[in-house]
Amino acid sequence: MTSGTAFSGDDPRQLLSGTRELTRQVRRTQRATWFPLLVLAAVTFAAIPFRYSPHRLGTCAATGLARVCTAYPPALLVYWPTALVLAYAVIAAFYIRRSQARGVGTRVRPYVVAGIILALAMTGSLVWTLYHPLAFTLAGPDLFSELHSYPFAIGLALVVLAWAERNGALLALALGYLTVVLVTATVGSVSGHGWLGFPVQVVIPGSVLLLGGIGFLLAQRPWRRAA
Amino acid sequence: MTSHPANGLDDIVHQRVRLGILTIAHEARRVEFSYLRDTLGLTAGNLSQHLGVLETAGLIAIEKGYAGKRARTWVTLTKAGQAALEDEIAQLKLLISRIEPAGTSPS
Repeated sequence: MTSGTAFSGDDPRQLLSGTRELTRQVRRTQRATWFPLLVLAAVTFAAIPFRYSPHRLGTCAATGLARVCTAYPPALLVYWPTALVLAYAVIAAFYIRRSQARGVGTRVRPYVVAGIILALAMTGSLVWTLYHPLAFTLAGPDLFSELHSYPFAIGLALVVLAWAERNGALLALALGYLTVVLVTATVGSVSGHGWLGFPVQVVIPGSVLLLGGIGFLLAQRPWRRAA
Repeated sequence: MTSHPANGLDDIVHQRVRLGILTIAHEARRVEFSYLRDTLGLTAGNLSQHLGVLETAGLIAIEKGYAGKRARTWVTLTKAGQAALEDEIAQLKLLISRIEPAGTSPS
């Protein structure tokens, strides 16, 4: 496939529109948005069984008349950072291999670095909060429960990928996904993180990632090799 | 007196194929010879000539290596190449802005 007709002529307007068309063509070749979305959907759904382990980490502290307690399954504390770091490593390897096969560089590095930093920072912050329960009461319990969510960290990293890929459609999906995460975290908080709360916080965001991944797969059609 | 924007155009960059090479290298960060050849619709010999001109001018760096058993040639934009591309785009926009009011004004 060539773009010889799209990039021809020496008229300044033709030259400028030709450079824009070439830029779009390179971006189309570089993008593989469907892959991280499907991998992260799988990671999100696979988290569900770890929620039901019988053990809990946390502590209690008294403030005035109230007694504040925190609890979090240790299995999830191990699962999420491990699974996310592995997922980002797989995504990086996929993009690099694809880049070599197609002959164009990749812009995946900022996304992978941001994703790993966010996953580890989320874990550190969560552990700190578990043993400082009064922080909940100072900043508001909803704020902590909504922001202390690994799906939220996944969404923030997707914003970085949208920027790196100059991908407006992915940015829209990432912002919609973050909204869904915050809304479902509120629902989970209201239902008291019970048997229903956690699946709501995970299945709905996971479904958004899955559907988004399928949508980008159909749009980007990786089986039709780009030039 | 201000000079006409056409005087600011660099003869090395203000050429359809070489501008295309710089544009692709800028967006891709690192681009392989065969991708440039296919995308710009050139023969290998023609592309090599243009790459030689850009490399001599210090606008691109060429790296040869292997991916498995296949020989590969990778092209990256240098800082001078980045500046030259930005300058060319700015000059083209300036030229267009000078042409368009005259071409679109009512008689």
